[in-house]
Amino acid sequence: MNKKKTMQDKMNRQYFLLIVPGMVIFTIGVILPLLLALRYSFTSWDGMTVEKESVGISNYINLWKDANFRQAWWFTIKFTIANTIVQNVFALLFAVALDSGIKAQKVYRTILFIPCLVSAVIVGFVWLKLYSNVLPELNEIFGTNINFLLFGDGKTVLRGLVIANNWQWIGYWMLIYLAGLQSVPSDLYEAAKVDGASAVQRFFNVTIPMLAPAITICVVGITTGSLKVYDLLVSSTGGGPGRASTSVIQMIYATAISGRQYGYGSAMSVTLVVILLMVAMIQVKGLKSKEVQS
Amino acid sequence: MAKFRRARQAEDVTQKPYTASTFAVQAVMTVVAVLFLFPLFVILNYSFKTKKELYLTSPLKLPDSLQWANYEAALKKLNLTTTFTNTFIYTAVSVLILALLCGVTAWAISRGKGKFFKFSFVYFVIGILIPFQALFLPIYTIGYKMHLTNTRYGIIFMYVATGISFGVFLMNSFMSTVPLELEEAARIDGCSVVRTYFVIVFPLLKPAFATLIIMQAFQIWNDYLLASLYVSKKGLKTLTVAIQSLFSAQASDYTTAMAAIVVSVLPISVLFLSLQKYFIKGMTVGAVKG
Repeated sequence: MNKKKTMQDKMNRQYFLLIVPGMVIFTIGVILPLLLALRYSFTSWDGMTVEKESVGISNYINLWKDANFRQAWWFTIKFTIANTIVQNVFALLFAVALDSGIKAQKVYRTILFIPCLVSAVIVGFVWLKLYSNVLPELNEIFGTNINFLLFGDGKTVLRGLVIANNWQWIGYWMLIYLAGLQSVPSDLYEAAKVDGASAVQRFFNVTIPMLAPAITICVVGITTGSLKVYDLLVSSTGGGPGRASTSVIQMIYATAISGRQYGYGSAMSVTLVVILLMVAMIQVKGLKSKEVQS
Repeated sequence: MAKFRRARQAEDVTQKPYTASTFAVQAVMTVVAVLFLFPLFVILNYSFKTKKELYLTSPLKLPDSLQWANYEAALKKLNLTTTFTNTFIYTAVSVLILALLCGVTAWAISRGKGKFFKFSFVYFVIGILIPFQALFLPIYTIGYKMHLTNTRYGIIFMYVATGISFGVFLMNSFMSTVPLELEEAARIDGCSVVRTYFVIVFPLLKPAFATLIIMQAFQIWNDYLLASLYVSKKGLKTLTVAIQSLFSAQASDYTTAMAAIVVSVLPISVLFLSLQKYFIKGMTVGAVKG
């Protein structure tokens, strides 16, 4: 017994040594920046000077009053909510459609998936050209009068970005739903059918509960991904027109790097991290509690 | 058991009857697929047009002849040999290090006994929720102070650091597929811990590594934020960063930009299409029961 224990101890020590390198790299590259951001957020540092003057929580108080920061958050929240709803609904719909026994399922799957392999920077540029040069051509062909210049107006820019973002990501989340659907044991459907459940009832009472783990992943993934939006904006709207599509990360970039207010920008970063963690945790908790145990 | 279940469903899919409503769904999905392909068609179409065609003819019209000169211009303007090699090196090296590191870390965490190992797992996995995109300021500052900016190993270090969390999580979910009995037998034969890992565990984790590698490769290949911060020097730039500067420089004559897009998307698409199976497995970890 005693010998066994020292054996496990000895092995634990070796296991420990195997974990150390990864832990050091992770700590330097991710945890340390988090702590640094927290520290700088209490200073008025400009990012260049040696001295970092402490200003207490005044950066956070100023953030609260900053109309631009509020606007950036407002845009980011609207973008996130729209994406979370549209992407989940369509991803699930397309997954159900592909799982309904149609022919050449894999071809559709690949086509819908390909856009997410394209870097968001490129997606932004392509949709910029689509809206400004390509789609208006359809009006001429069909004699219609649809406004395709979505990036040009502060009122429509959000819609334009949501469409571009959905084109890129629906296929990705659809694949997760598809894998979830294909893992639902068919005897469950048979049993529901025998009990006289209609197709709609089967969808809401069998499919949705069995998809709960996939729903958790997709909802959390889409929400946190949208809150971090930056790449998509760089080459499409650049945050405009005006400040209409400036996201939180973009504002951090502008404040800290172009505006030299490093301390103030760090406070923005910390706010974003805290909100992201809170949203993710609330969603995971809320959605997990709905997952059925099987 | 899980395998048995999945195999049975694969049969089920083909057994679903093809009715009128299936046909309707097929028709709708075909329209959707065409809509999804449309932007890709536009990219390809533009990439083969002459400047004259770009300005004077309809954007939907096919080019009279394939204008390979756009691709030549794209290769030159992107500095393709350099940027492509850079992106390839950053991606390949980061991904290999990640595979080595995450495999061994996840294994040690799952085999070690005690509070420390439980804590380590939580410590790593919490990183999935910490958005490095929100922390790019201190990430840059730390890199600058440690002389990591504008170096190849610096950007690779950051890709590894920001990829570890997901990697450990992913590899950990595969650990149950390694039979403990094999490891114990090896140990009785006098294998050290490290040797046990490389001789017994490592070969069994091959599908897991394929999954990890393709998931991370796709992220790193497409990264913009870290690359634009860390490697701004001309000889070290990545493809995505070079394309972005091409976009602003060629805002009106974008036939070259479109050709550049084709060039940059092609390698990762080929990789995906050939390794689709592993990619899907990585995406769906945790989404499927059993």
